[in-house]
Amino acid sequence: MGNSLVYAAVNTKIRAMEGDFLTAADYKNMLQKHSVPELARYLKDNTHYAEFLKDVDVEKISRRELEEIFRRRIISDLDRLIYYFKRGYKDFVRSLYLKYEIADIKHLARLIFNGSKPQDFSQSLTFIGKYSRLQPEKLFAAASIRDLITSMEGSEFYPFVKPLLDGRRENLFRFEMVLDMGYFSMINQMREKVSGTDYKILQFWEGTVADLYNIQWIYRGKKFYRLLPEELLNYTLEFGEELSFTKRKALCYAANLEEFYELVQSTGYQFLFKKNQTQDIYMERRINRYIYHLLKALNRKYPMTIIQTICYVWFLEYEIKDIFAICESIRYRITPEEARRFLVRAF
Amino acid sequence: MAVETMKMMGFIGKNELMNKILRQLVLDGSLHAVNALVRINSSDFKILPTEKNIEALEELPFLKSYSAHRDFSEDEKIITGLMQLFGIEPQVKLEHLLQDYDYDKFIKEILNIDEEIRHTTEEIQERERTIEEKREYISNLSYLKEHQFDMGRLAGMKYLTFRLLKITKENYEKLKKNYENIPAVVMKVGDEGKDVVVATMTPVTLEETVNKILDSLNYTPLALPDGYGGLAFEVIQELEQKIQEDERSVEELKASLSHYREKYASVVEKAFSRLQLEKQVEDLKSDAALGKHWFFLFGFVPENRVGELKAQLESSFGDDLIILVDDIAKSGRGITPPTQLRNVKLFKPFELLVKMYSTPAYDEKDPTVFFAITYMLLFGAMFGDVGQGLVMLLAGLIMEKVMSDGNFGGILVRLGFSSTIFGFLYGSVFGSEDLIPALVIRPMANINTMLVAAVFLGVLLLVASTIWSILNSSIQRNIEEGFFGRNGWAGLGFYLVLIYSVIKVALGGSVSPVSIALMIGFIVLMVLKQPLAHKLEGMERLYDESAGSYFMEEGFGVVETLLSTLSNTISFIRVGAFALNHVGLYIAFETVGKMMGSQVGNIAMLILGNVIIIGLEGLVVFIQALRLEYYELFSKFYKGDGIEYKPVKLKGLAHAPRNPFRTIAH
Repeated sequence: MGNSLVYAAVNTKIRAMEGDFLTAADYKNMLQKHSVPELARYLKDNTHYAEFLKDVDVEKISRRELEEIFRRRIISDLDRLIYYFKRGYKDFVRSLYLKYEIADIKHLARLIFNGSKPQDFSQSLTFIGKYSRLQPEKLFAAASIRDLITSMEGSEFYPFVKPLLDGRRENLFRFEMVLDMGYFSMINQMREKVSGTDYKILQFWEGTVADLYNIQWIYRGKKFYRLLPEELLNYTLEFGEELSFTKRKALCYAANLEEFYELVQSTGYQFLFKKNQTQDIYMERRINRYIYHLLKALNRKYPMTIIQTICYVWFLEYEIKDIFAICESIRYRITPEEARRFLVRAF
Repeated sequence: MAVETMKMMGFIGKNELMNKILRQLVLDGSLHAVNALVRINSSDFKILPTEKNIEALEELPFLKSYSAHRDFSEDEKIITGLMQLFGIEPQVKLEHLLQDYDYDKFIKEILNIDEEIRHTTEEIQERERTIEEKREYISNLSYLKEHQFDMGRLAGMKYLTFRLLKITKENYEKLKKNYENIPAVVMKVGDEGKDVVVATMTPVTLEETVNKILDSLNYTPLALPDGYGGLAFEVIQELEQKIQEDERSVEELKASLSHYREKYASVVEKAFSRLQLEKQVEDLKSDAALGKHWFFLFGFVPENRVGELKAQLESSFGDDLIILVDDIAKSGRGITPPTQLRNVKLFKPFELLVKMYSTPAYDEKDPTVFFAITYMLLFGAMFGDVGQGLVMLLAGLIMEKVMSDGNFGGILVRLGFSSTIFGFLYGSVFGSEDLIPALVIRPMANINTMLVAAVFLGVLLLVASTIWSILNSSIQRNIEEGFFGRNGWAGLGFYLVLIYSVIKVALGGSVSPVSIALMIGFIVLMVLKQPLAHKLEGMERLYDESAGSYFMEEGFGVVETLLSTLSNTISFIRVGAFALNHVGLYIAFETVGKMMGSQVGNIAMLILGNVIIIGLEGLVVFIQALRLEYYELFSKFYKGDGIEYKPVKLKGLAHAPRNPFRTIAH
């Protein structure tokens, strides 16, 4: 694929679409709002989200509906970008949906587990079937996790969830775990579809993200879930930038948290552990911010590569995440100063 | 050679007779149903307020569409189950359908039969299930065949548990890399592409821990049989024996059903036929409208079937059924009637190719005859060969016999025949031009003549299709297209003058000023077609849209006309070119054949050459001729926006019976 030719077109499109991102001023204004409708009105009157809110009565909108509307923006934007790619690259860019699709499937599984009725959620889980060959109606008709697994037959996910069925071990935790493992295994294959510089960047970028997730997983598994080291290790992602198998294994088999911190110190990810009370609360945000800045740096360094597209999608996701963080902080009456500490974006 | 005339028939009957009436309609197989409510609301619907009709008339405002679609899947499951058990072939037989019967009562009979033999069938199923299970055990055990494990001892261990499982290669690698920490013996016993089969042995006390670890590797357990002793291969032998025993007892059980078979086979056979009919009836019902006491059903029936159908139904149902027969409304009003083509046997197969383009509208002239003649002509001219033509003819005859839909074979027969005729004209047998004399021309010796003749043929066909288009326009009273259109009189005049001028120039003359004036005149007529037509029709508005955009469009239209007139004509040069190509290809194979050096090689090459020519060139010519038809000719005169005539009928019943109701007693 004539990379510079394709990226010249894609990047121009991305630059134009980036113009629709919220500005620092928008963030400041949003933090001053006192209710969700007020926030929605602001977005409708002043930002690009107007397009998605135009048929919506902002006075009556709930947080859940708002979330659904904004998630549609990811679909509409990504669809616009997919159009520029061909063959293997098209598959790769389409696989960016995978993350959201899996999130939706997991969400559905939790709703089913809690006994919700199908009509409650068929509206909002828009990503199901967006990447894979899943048939949403079939999934929505499921009454149990077992049903849900059988309804996934024929899709890309089925080989991963099928063993649960054969072994009669279909519970929510394992279902979510195998889907996540399946996701990373699929992502690993997708990387083979790009070539040259793109491949190297992806390897670095996805490896770093995998490192972060692995550390977070091992830490939580040790601290909260008290999983066996063998289990922890088996659930870690099989690739990484800095964390080799040996390092991961060492982390999993650390005798206690102190030893774990000690080991992390020798990696580039020690910033995740400040060893104070807010460590756990902010860990997610620390990871997101790290990714955010890493993406920005990569973005500057490799202008004519696939990272531009990845960057756009992730930034959009972060923007939407931030809007909901603001929503939540309005609902729980957190002051603007405190609220901004939960946001991915700093301004 | 035309489109079959249709009548609109209406059937208004008592609700309780609905199934019986519809059954007869399905068996008759000539009703193309339309939605009853649409028909009732159409402007040309009328029903005479006679005494007989008055009750039905009263219901008209309160009609509802039939919505309770009945589900036959249960019945179907039972009936197909019984058929499998008794070994009955699925076949729809008319003899089972002509009696007067109540489907529901009848199906109860079947349910009773099913009930009666259920105990045995369930046992058969159970046996079959255990056979399946044992087969799985065998396939699992086969992984352990090479090892000296005593299965009985493995299963009976007190402090250790033994298991066989399947995990993905990816996860197996994980397990291997961390093996020193796993409190179990893990042994790889099989490799299946993406998956690995392992045997594990764990102390019972550590089983829970190991389970957790294995869970995180997403394993699939492979079941092993209980209560068998000996090495794996011995257990397998034992299981195989048991399977044989089971199979024998299944056979015995099936045999014990044989007297049931004698007793009930004919009923089950009957049930299958009746079920198929009932499903069709149910489908037909979705087009019906229901009142309180009466139902309404409408559809198109070919004119020649109306009398018989009406007579039959009247004799069966008398006053309980009102039958309406109406003529088709003028085009544009009412419901579009379906098109049933009717052609003599010689041309009939070509309907397939015409329909592939599209179905003619009900009020359009059927182009099949024109298509058939010209298509055979074009194909023959491009692929003229006595030997190869006869091969195709033969192949076509065989296909007609073998294939259920004989149309394609029929086409091949006719094309082969045409090819043979042209073969005589060209003097070619299996490519060789030495065997018989040419009756008319040898293509390769007269290249220019062939090409010019091809173009000339094209001119004739184009003129013919333009005249056809003019006829169509006159049927539809379309002055704009008929007189002034590109495919109307003006277009024809322009084309003829143009061709005349071209011929004159080609013969060394020059174009006369009169010709130029005529051509310009025709072009002006074509450009002004809409205002002129509107003027003649006495309409106030001269243009349908704004005059500016009209002339813009027509301006480009003129350029397009000039270009396409020429290109359409020249396009026919391919007819000559393929006739030459046909000879050329043979010469190539002949030359290679001579180079083979031996007589056998030479003959083999000639046979191979002929096979390739028939297969490959035959296909190419088939497509090229089709292209000329569709693109150069059909686009001139044929719209084809009709609906195909699809009567409701019983599938699997070979021929619609001409008079199936003689035996039906009311």
